[in-house]
Amino acid sequence: MNVIECKEITKSYGRVKALDNLCCTIEENKITGLIGRNGAGKTTLLKIIAGHLRQTSGEVKVFSLEPFNNLTVSANIIFLHDQVNLPTALTLKEILQTTGSFYPNWNHELANRLFNYFSFHPFQYYHGLSKGMKSTFNMILGLSARCPLTLFDEPTTGMDAAVRKDFYRALLKDYIEHPRTIILSSHYLDEIEDLLEEILVLKEGKQLLHMPVAELQDWAMTVQGKAPVVKEWTNDKQIIYSKKVGDDQMLTVVKNDFSAKERQLSREVGIELSPVTTSDLCVYLTSKSTGGIDDVFGQHDDDGGH
Amino acid sequence: MVLNLDGSKPIYVQLAEWLENEILNGHFDSGQKIYSQYQLAEIFNINPATAAKGLNILAEENVLYKKRGLGMFVSDEAKSIILTKRRTQTLTGLVEELAAEARRLDVSKEELIEMIKGAMTGGTEE
Amino acid sequence: MSLASMTMTEVIKKQYIYKLQAYIQVFFSLLFLQLIAVLFSLSGVATMGTSGGMVDMEIRYYSADLVVVFTMLWGFISAVLITTRAYRNDDFLFVTNRFTSNLSNMLFLLTASLIGAITAILSFYLLSIVVNLFGSDYFINNTPVLKDPVEVLLGMFSAFLYILLFCMLGYLAGTLVQVHKSFVVLLPAAFLGSLFLDLADGRAGVFAEVFKFYHSEHSILLFTVKVMVTAGVLFLVSAGLSNRLEVRS
Repeated sequence: MNVIECKEITKSYGRVKALDNLCCTIEENKITGLIGRNGAGKTTLLKIIAGHLRQTSGEVKVFSLEPFNNLTVSANIIFLHDQVNLPTALTLKEILQTTGSFYPNWNHELANRLFNYFSFHPFQYYHGLSKGMKSTFNMILGLSARCPLTLFDEPTTGMDAAVRKDFYRALLKDYIEHPRTIILSSHYLDEIEDLLEEILVLKEGKQLLHMPVAELQDWAMTVQGKAPVVKEWTNDKQIIYSKKVGDDQMLTVVKNDFSAKERQLSREVGIELSPVTTSDLCVYLTSKSTGGIDDVFGQHDDDGGH
Repeated sequence: MVLNLDGSKPIYVQLAEWLENEILNGHFDSGQKIYSQYQLAEIFNINPATAAKGLNILAEENVLYKKRGLGMFVSDEAKSIILTKRRTQTLTGLVEELAAEARRLDVSKEELIEMIKGAMTGGTEE
Repeated sequence: MSLASMTMTEVIKKQYIYKLQAYIQVFFSLLFLQLIAVLFSLSGVATMGTSGGMVDMEIRYYSADLVVVFTMLWGFISAVLITTRAYRNDDFLFVTNRFTSNLSNMLFLLTASLIGAITAILSFYLLSIVVNLFGSDYFINNTPVLKDPVEVLLGMFSAFLYILLFCMLGYLAGTLVQVHKSFVVLLPAAFLGSLFLDLADGRAGVFAEVFKFYHSEHSILLFTVKVMVTAGVLFLVSAGLSNRLEVRS
């Protein structure tokens, strides 16, 4: 069953299109990573799913319902982001109780254990917390609510490495016990990729790719070697990224459709084929040009010859 | 045992290799039930679907077999399948590299064979 | 996975309880404002003096009217406050849609008006105690509570209606500002502008007429109907305007 279905949704702010004819579906009980550069439309998409924003055109269905102004959708979603506006008059303990009163699946014991583990004080106020502590507190709300659809937008903002690790583990453990649909957007793909089942990459408001993480791990290949040979090897392939190394060497990332025979042959012609890490791949895929920042400094030469 | 999470090999491949090692070590005997995808997910902090993919690789190679509703079990031929696979795959790879290096260094076929022979006899004598 | 479904009344009830907690500051400012109003009232609303021969006489009248007026202003400001971004989006972390959010705001404002009215009327007793103790040589207590509790209750009720009216005005004004920022300037400009125009013409203007419409009503029943209908219309307009508003943070 699809929990989320987006058909050709566009969201414009004046002349800028935050989402541009985006189509995507999210299946039930999967952890999906939402990846993209700043401004790719991740937050806008999540806000539309949560019913906070209304798409300019297109159709969005969450649990087969229109999310905007829908009480049932709202009752089954919790959406945490780093600009969550929690009431300043309530202490942290009171916020936990209030959140619990709204969500039927709320687990108070889990909330309390996490609360104590991360050494929060019951009488603290949310606005007095540091950025990382706020994120940690949001995470407690998000996990304990056990909503059928849990949306985390940049959940680890400001957290230190140890807390991030705890968060990922807590998320996974609770997910195994209580499977549900979770969407995580994050800059740290290398940290979260093992948690994910699916990965959805956005670029300039469009879906760039959507596939199981396991497939993405051998979706692309780095071809490295002498520039002319690399060129010859990659000219019929989909080039994702390309860079000169030293004077005559070249490194090119291409879509991996090499046959076993080609792999064998590559050794003989002095070319090195190696896998690309998912997070590097996403950086390459979402960059505006195939040469990355080097293009700006004019080091990349499209014709290769000198 | 921690998987190498730097992405040089897909996680599910590393997971399959780890399970193979566990079987070779005798940690799991044939006919014994192996970890479930959820146990593996928990042990290695990975998504259960990824863990399932690792298990499925081994099931396709007949190292494991499924009992409906009960989980995955180690097959009788598991050890021999793993050993054969490692011999063919790992050794073939090494030999190919050896051949490529020999070509680069202008070592002739005969010379190389002699070297291998020497290495083999040297190894057994010691 | 089975979906949780919640009835609208359930959600509104939860939001109402939540808002009573979360908007507690509103009541602190009420307390503060009413104390200030009492302080202003200490000089009396009217003074009359005569002197003849050896006797100097000064009569001061005291009333809690100023407190009620202050409370009406407080109602207006508080209602504007809860439509601002800092408060309006509080619901959206939890279960809500725009309609339940508006309705629970309405319930909150009703509660606030009621509390405001009760404390405003009761503040007169505070005033009389202070005056009795420190302010005057001879104190004539005309406080009706023991003589006629019904009158006190009626006083509270009409104060409640006035405060509610101002709350709903504030709620509409706040909502208009949320719909478009230009109303921040437009609304006060329109209000002050028409006041000045009326003043320049030397006639009783729109606002005076509106004031008369409510204030000169002698039947408490008709007055109640007038205020309730107005408040209802103001609320529906606000709810309708905000029903398509997006959550911006």
